[in-house]
Order: sequence, then structure tokens, then C-alpha cells
Amino acid sequence: MVSTASYVALSGILFALGLVGVLTRRTAIMAFLSVELMLNAANIALVAFARAWGDLMGQTAVFIVMTLAAAEVAIGLAIIVSIFRKRETTNVDDLASLKG
Amino acid sequence: MILAFYILGALAIIGGVITTGARNAVHAALGLVGTLLAVAGLFATMNAAFLAATQVIVYAGAIMVLFLFVIMMLNANAPVTAKDPLPFVRELAGIAGTLIAGAFVVIAYTYKDPRPLAEGAADVRGGTAQAVGETLLTRFLLPFEVVSVLLLVAVVGAVALVQRPAPQPDGFGGGAPPASHAGAELEREVQV
Repeated sequence: MVSTASYVALSGILFALGLVGVLTRRTAIMAFLSVELMLNAANIALVAFARAWGDLMGQTAVFIVMTLAAAEVAIGLAIIVSIFRKRETTNVDDLASLKG
Repeated sequence: MILAFYILGALAIIGGVITTGARNAVHAALGLVGTLLAVAGLFATMNAAFLAATQVIVYAGAIMVLFLFVIMMLNANAPVTAKDPLPFVRELAGIAGTLIAGAFVVIAYTYKDPRPLAEGAADVRGGTAQAVGETLLTRFLLPFEVVSVLLLVAVVGAVALVQRPAPQPDGFGGGAPPASHAGAELEREVQV
């Protein structure tokens, strides 16, 4: 049986990949995709710990996280679409008018 | 089991690299679909059958289709060619990512299982829909109800955000076609 540590290590690697994506990608949609990658990395760790402790709360939490991700995607993409309609761009460098 | 873990883990990491590095947004989204499917397989190896199915149906199926629709609708698959406004962003992000991944791996391998792994794996009862559903409707009852309200708010919010302004009775803000170029300008301003 594969150890919990291996799963958590894989989760950490995927999380770091998602983080690099959020930091380097320049369009809002690509940053958003990377956030989804980070959420999935966290889900792997939750399921691994649920198995380690023999407790189903971890798996149920993953189910709630998936629901949250669906809601987040619906709202986030709606915001991106409405920004694109007004500004004709989704490049986050062009959307910096709130910067002081 | 170990072989399945290595294959699925490698697939997940490859998909993640494509997501992070692909120039074309559609390729990145498809890379993320690969990662999500590999993660579903990893869930299945961890006695989480229901979550594996949900991952494929909800995440890889519904959420990623939504992403692909928006990418294609906004024509966002062209790469950004302008110069980075900050110097060395990519290098710094690479260093930070490597450090964080290394820290996670080190922390992960200092983790000791609180009990024999086979015992815990038996206790999650295969992660079937029945087992997860029992937990969801007993110990997770409040989060379950709150999430249902959140989904309702998200649906209403998404519709409110993308809808065009409703036509006004006096003809402003949509509805009748503009009579002249000046009328079109005026209408556009009202809409904004």
C-alpha cells in the first residue's frame, strides 16, 4: 500500500506547480486554471489523510471543496466575461487601474 | 498499487506542467483535464470510489467544459507577447515553486501514520456514496446546507454579472435599434 507521505509529497508538487502558474501567467483565465490545479492538490492531501486516519470526514470535505470550486468557477468566469466585454482584454497587466 | 500510483502521479505532474507552461490556453485547459483524470485515478487508489466518480463527472466534465467555452468565446487562446512588467518574474516564481515543493516533500516524509494504513483504509469503507453520504448528512449537515445557499447565490450572481441591461420603457439602454450614429454612441454609453 502506497504510504500517505508519497501522496502528500505529490500533492505538494502539484500545489507548487499551480502556484508558479498563478505567479507567471498573464491572462486571468490562465491564472484561474492554475488555482484549480492548487485546489486539486489540496484535495489529494485531504483524501490521503482521510485514509490514514480511517475517517470519512476528509473525503466529505473534498466533496464540499468540489462544490465550492464549481461555484467559484461560475462566478469567476462570469466576472472575466463581463470584464472582457468592457475592456476587450483579460490580460491582468492591463487591468491594474486599481493599483495606487 | 504502487505502479498505479507512479503512473497516475507522473500523468498528474505532466498535466500540471502543461497547464502551467503551455502558450495556448486551450492546450493548458486540456492539460488540466489530464491532471484531473489522473487525480480521479489517485482517489480510486485511496479507497475513495465516490469521489473518483464525482471528480470525473463534475470537475473533468462540467467545470472544464465551462472553462473551454469561455476560452473559446473570449478568443483567449492567443499567447501574451508583451514584455513582463516586472523583471525576473519567471525565474523568481520558479525558485519559489521549487522551494515550496521541496518543503512539502520534506514535511510529507516526516509524517508518521497514526495507525496501520490497512486499518484506516478499511475504516473508510471504500468511500462509497453511502459512506460519504452518511457523513455528509450527519456531521457535515451545516456545511452541506450553507454550500447549497452558496451555490444558489453563485448561480444568481453569474446570471446578474453577464446579463445585458434590461431594455427601458422609454427606449434607452437596448431594445429598439438606434436611429443614427449619435444614437448608437448614446446607447453604448448608457449600457456601460
